[in-house]
Amino acid sequence: MKLSEIAVRRNGAREPHTLAGAYVMDAISPPDRTRFERHLERCQECAGEVDGLREATARLAAATAASPPAGLKERVMAAAAMTRQQPPAAPAAESRTAVVPAWLRNMTMLTWPNRLALAGGALAVAMLALVVTFGVNNGSMQQQLDDDVASSQQIAAVLTARDAHMMTGQVLGGGTVDVVVSSSKDALVFTAKGLRPLPSSLGYELWLVGPSGTRPIEVLPPQSDGMISPVVASGLRNGDHLVLTAEPAGGSAHPDKPMMLNLIL
Amino acid sequence: MQAMRPAAPPPGQQAHGGDLAAQIVLVARGDIAAFDDVYDRISAHVFGTVRRVIRDPAQSEEVTQEVLLEVWRSASTFDAGRGSVMAWVSMLAHRRAVDRVRSVQKEAERERRIATSEIPFDEVAEAVESGLERERVRRCLGTLTELQRESVTLAYYGGYTYGQVASLLSVPQGTVKTRMRDALIRLRDCLGVAE
Repeated sequence: MKLSEIAVRRNGAREPHTLAGAYVMDAISPPDRTRFERHLERCQECAGEVDGLREATARLAAATAASPPAGLKERVMAAAAMTRQQPPAAPAAESRTAVVPAWLRNMTMLTWPNRLALAGGALAVAMLALVVTFGVNNGSMQQQLDDDVASSQQIAAVLTARDAHMMTGQVLGGGTVDVVVSSSKDALVFTAKGLRPLPSSLGYELWLVGPSGTRPIEVLPPQSDGMISPVVASGLRNGDHLVLTAEPAGGSAHPDKPMMLNLIL
Repeated sequence: MQAMRPAAPPPGQQAHGGDLAAQIVLVARGDIAAFDDVYDRISAHVFGTVRRVIRDPAQSEEVTQEVLLEVWRSASTFDAGRGSVMAWVSMLAHRRAVDRVRSVQKEAERERRIATSEIPFDEVAEAVESGLERERVRRCLGTLTELQRESVTLAYYGGYTYGQVASLLSVPQGTVKTRMRDALIRLRDCLGVAE
């Protein structure tokens, strides 16, 4: 007890670290959550502490235990029987998911003039290479290859645009999206990670919603690891929002499900 | 380093069917009978957690169903090296409950809830089916300072962010953040969670 109190005092000064308590109690805003999770990736000690504090929250939860209504079990068991399970993360897939988000994250950390300077030079080449690699890695079928390369060039055009800027949003229900917007190209590039898997009857659908109407962009391909490879949307207009919904598989013409993400572009 | 954390399972949660973590491994392989057993052992925990935050019975039931289905669906992501099954399940349940109140509930309803809610600490007593564990938690909450206890109960049971807790208690956000962490460290030690 004494020792941990000393530890608290010692670590209290380290800013992100103090979020551990709020984090395990889900008492933080989505940007704080993302920031702290990045911190956790680098800080083994913090990850260990978070695991320990989670056990304490489990006990807080246990103190509220109450039998669920009768009939719930039947419904859950029936739903489980019809629900495909998430496969375990393959080690190869893990290392791949690490590549692009880290790179996109690094972009946000660059200051504005730096990023412009870099984007005009060597980084542009590096980005194109990464995008192509990423597309190729994710396209399981050979016939997708050409499409991937073509869209990779579009992606690179947005990313290297002089007015490209980066936005991050949290998806309700889980997941983070990174969006790079270029007004001069009237286009954006969208990637996502950590999206909750949907039942096979549903698919994530992206929309542009604004004064000039609601336009579907794309039904995102299902990704077992919740990771969505870059998607380009062109035809961006003033005042558009980027919206994500879960629609019946195959997509809808109009979003009729609740918005899981609403990003003002 | 922090390796396996064999947290002492609270009484009443090791009644039958063998090790819960082993059952989750079976669930990950699609074993519906194992899931049936897991349901019996975690559903009250999930429902209690969710209902404590959401309050509305119908919504609580709906979210409980989602959480339990998520246990089925994502059993393969459970990592015993990171902690107990109950810690994992609590995280899924609490996060989803909090997401639900923050997304669906209108601001006005939230305000009313703040105005009419008693002090959450006292409401821990509402739970009727976890006597011994509830007593331990009450006792350990009692060892906290008032600010620590209020921070934890408002955040965990109330579903508020530390920023909201700070304004409810009229203290700086930084103070609330620190108190939350201090409080959980104390609770962890008091409840005998293995380090």
